[in-house]
Amino acid sequence: MAAMSLLLRAAAACGARRAASGAPFPRLAGTARLPGALAPVRHSSGHGKKMFIIKATSFYDTRFLNLLRFYVFLTGIPVALFITYVNIFIGEAELAEIPEGYIPDYWEYYKHPISRWIARYLLDPPEKEYEKQMALLDAEAKKTELRLMELEARRLMRHRGDGPWYHYETPDKNLVDNSMKSTPDN
Amino acid sequence: MPEDPDWKAYNVPPTRTPVGERDTSVPNPVDIFQTVFNYVVDAPVTFVREWIERQQAKNKFYYYHQKFRRVPDLSECLEGDYLCFYEAEAQWRRDRMVDQEIVEIIRERLGACKQREGPNQFQNCAKEAQLLAQVTKAYQDRYGDLGVHGNARTCLMKQKHRMMEERKAQENPSQ
Repeated sequence: MAAMSLLLRAAAACGARRAASGAPFPRLAGTARLPGALAPVRHSSGHGKKMFIIKATSFYDTRFLNLLRFYVFLTGIPVALFITYVNIFIGEAELAEIPEGYIPDYWEYYKHPISRWIARYLLDPPEKEYEKQMALLDAEAKKTELRLMELEARRLMRHRGDGPWYHYETPDKNLVDNSMKSTPDN
Repeated sequence: MPEDPDWKAYNVPPTRTPVGERDTSVPNPVDIFQTVFNYVVDAPVTFVREWIERQQAKNKFYYYHQKFRRVPDLSECLEGDYLCFYEAEAQWRRDRMVDQEIVEIIRERLGACKQREGPNQFQNCAKEAQLLAQVTKAYQDRYGDLGVHGNARTCLMKQKHRMMEERKAQENPSQ
């Protein structure tokens, strides 16, 4: 903007000099000339001529970024402060050999104090998780076994015909008309 | 805090920098830099670190490496005993992780040896290189081409095939 104003000022001064000299010599073709009267203008020191710069709005962008920063820091800063406090004043655990005859609790296998706290109060002990998984596996295994046995029983009963399944209703033998089959010459 | 490397495990020999004699009266700029660094950076950082350690030393607590009991292997499980399969699979995965760490440690030892010896590495690190080759071959034989879905069962099958081929190789030359 200041450069623009300098350019305008230089052009104005040049034009004024030209107008003052009367211009007896021919003008060069294509010389840039400012239209209208030429007068020196004083602009605010350093800031230059105030321009109305046309650009796309940044209102929504700045609003989004401000809100993002606000909501991230709203919980981010307390969490960061808490974690810094834990790391400085409580500190991580040291690695040690398991003493003789001592069975550590399941949370004592973690290093960071927050991991230890989560393992102790929020999560189930890994032995319990193991047993839960094994219980699920056991239930599924029993279901598989029963299903296979059912399929086998169905197959055998269908094949042998001596079980309670696969009994089909047939018409009563008293309803059968034997007159066609009673004599050999029909 | 990341763990500091264990220098004793890598057998770093003591440095043999010779003490030089000063000829000029110009002070060594390295000394100036060292003292400046010492006062500007080293001392405050050490002070803060020691203060933090004093706070942490008030209530110390420890963590341990878990020792798992050995359970029956996959080859000792009856067919259809899914619980036995699950325990054997868990144990096989733990053993595979341990083997991976072993290979990694021996690889690091070779790297440390190379760094230590410098231009003499091809002669002086032969033992470590041979050990690494052995261990990598053993790992490849056992866990090698099982793929991402490899489990205890595929590993057992691979072992079975290896034994069959060994037996064939034994019988064929003798014929």
